[in-house]
Amino acid sequence: MAHKKDYYAILGISRNASPEEIRQAYFDAARRLHPDKNVAPGETELFIEVQEAYETLANPKKRAKYDATLPPEQPVQIPIETRILYSRQNLLPLQESQLVYVLLELAPRPDVPPPPAPPLNLCLVIDHSTSMQGKNIEVVKDTAIQIMRRLRPEDYFSLVIFNDKAEVIIPSQSGADVKRMESRIHMIQCAGGTEIFSGLETGYKELLRYMRRSSATHLILLTDGRTYGDEEKCIELARKAAEQNITIRGLGIGADWNDVFLDEISSLTGGNSMYISRPEDIQRILMDEINRLSTVYAQETTLEFKIPADIELRYLFRIKPDPTLLSSTDSIKLGPVIQHASIQVLMEFVVHQARENQVLTLLEGKIGFTLPHPKTKNISLLLKLNRPVKNELDAEPPPAEIVNALSKLILYRLQEQARQEAQAGDFEHAAEHLQYLATHLLARGERELAKTALLEADHLRRQGDFSKVGIKEIKYGTRALLTAGERK
Amino acid sequence: MLICPNCKHQELSGALFCSHCGAQLGDMNLATHKIQTAEKKASGNNFRDAQTTHPASMQSWLSLHIIESGQIVPLVERTEFTLGRIAEGQPIVPDVDLSPYDAYANGVSRLHCAIKLIDGQVYIVDLGSSNGTYLNGTRLTPYTEMPVTDGDIIHLGKLKIQLLIAR
Repeated sequence: MAHKKDYYAILGISRNASPEEIRQAYFDAARRLHPDKNVAPGETELFIEVQEAYETLANPKKRAKYDATLPPEQPVQIPIETRILYSRQNLLPLQESQLVYVLLELAPRPDVPPPPAPPLNLCLVIDHSTSMQGKNIEVVKDTAIQIMRRLRPEDYFSLVIFNDKAEVIIPSQSGADVKRMESRIHMIQCAGGTEIFSGLETGYKELLRYMRRSSATHLILLTDGRTYGDEEKCIELARKAAEQNITIRGLGIGADWNDVFLDEISSLTGGNSMYISRPEDIQRILMDEINRLSTVYAQETTLEFKIPADIELRYLFRIKPDPTLLSSTDSIKLGPVIQHASIQVLMEFVVHQARENQVLTLLEGKIGFTLPHPKTKNISLLLKLNRPVKNELDAEPPPAEIVNALSKLILYRLQEQARQEAQAGDFEHAAEHLQYLATHLLARGERELAKTALLEADHLRRQGDFSKVGIKEIKYGTRALLTAGERK
Repeated sequence: MLICPNCKHQELSGALFCSHCGAQLGDMNLATHKIQTAEKKASGNNFRDAQTTHPASMQSWLSLHIIESGQIVPLVERTEFTLGRIAEGQPIVPDVDLSPYDAYANGVSRLHCAIKLIDGQVYIVDLGSSNGTYLNGTRLTPYTEMPVTDGDIIHLGKLKIQLLIAR
């Protein structure tokens, strides 16, 4: 057969890949297929092909010559669709500022059957400080064992525990001897304080040992306490993890952990933080997470963008899945796309000036992601958000989906405002916001949460601070409203 | 600039909800859950009334007087309303959701009946409900419009409602 090999397909890259991408893809493939490591039949041949592909593509002259021989590229069917909704059809020519909301959705195409999910590379980082003693640590241990039993043979798993320092209980491995590992897990004892950085760093290193772009790499941190003095280092590490496309999920148990901090490190990586009020819930929540992470469809989802000078992206929130506030830097990790589920992000733009008869660009950028199966493939979709400026009122009401999302998001934001005001010492306004929140919650039939908000408003007026539990209940309770009825 | 009708907070044009009190801004009566009912809860709770008040221009031509609870629900802005109840997980959404008035227990269908204003005359039509719509005690033939006047009493299943029609 005179059929030419497609070197780009062999390396799993697109035809306009940069030399750096080619190099990276080669190293990834070589590490995966190296004859020293792999005995599967046919893989040595694959390795030779990879070598061949790299030798050609890495040399600009050879590459150009090779490119000329290729048939024109078939349009690739992108298995993810984007959907964009705007809160208004057009902007008004105003000198003053105005708002426009954009709902961006990424969803697997329903007509393309999902490929088998990529293997997991998972590290569980568990706090075993004194405060975890008792039910908490026991449930966590049981859950860790459950997770090990649930994993597929191709999944990699590691377990790190930490208090003042970290210790690797199960080094990263696949197909571990569960029985032997179980006894190690059972021996975990509680003692000492909570230094999250040491735990995170050790977990991070375990994940790096078998880092492959074709697997779904996640770190799950379970803690019940605050870390002191090493927050900056943790954030730095979270940034590094984000670059490596490792997602961090933070699970906080009980009242004493720092939710703002866990939110920050997790959302930097595309993950999120979760609140566990009772130890009984640990198992369910963790197993749900593992199940979800075992069905990743696309990952390394990144939104990169530029915003024109007189536009401000004031609020950026991932509504689905795992509602969380995203920091509006110019490169944002959105987290993995799970099979049969979409990612939805809501953006609030402030337009400071709009002149008549122009089409105003709100944002320009791209959404990049990789499909881990069958080969890691980088795909980017161009994204351009704009609105015409016309001196006429909208004939159409805002899309119900946006109104619906905002009607729930506003509750979360009332809580957010209350916290900001309380921090600035303005307890009166903070309490007022909580009362407004309670009214809306009651109208929705959320009696328990409404009661908590009112109690919290009262607590704030009398004591000048939130109760540790109450404010977490409200924060995670209002977040949960966003996905109510979604999961399960 | 917009002014929140509930708390008078200033919002930027284009805002959909008041950032201060969380009330919905602007007139968006087209979707189900936004039909405003100006009912006041009789109980003496001290929460602020979060519902947006309407500009005076939006006259209501029809109010529903829920006889059991004595509440009066004015309906505004449109010339046709479907009455029913919202059931969790069901795509069917009536314009007026009667679930707060024990609709389920009273046998109200999800889409029970519709009330229309045509050339100044008000009509009621049963939408094939399971337990029927009664006008002053007589069961209506489904999908047939019947004229109604101010003060008429309708039954949706067992839920009794008096129609108050503005002249």
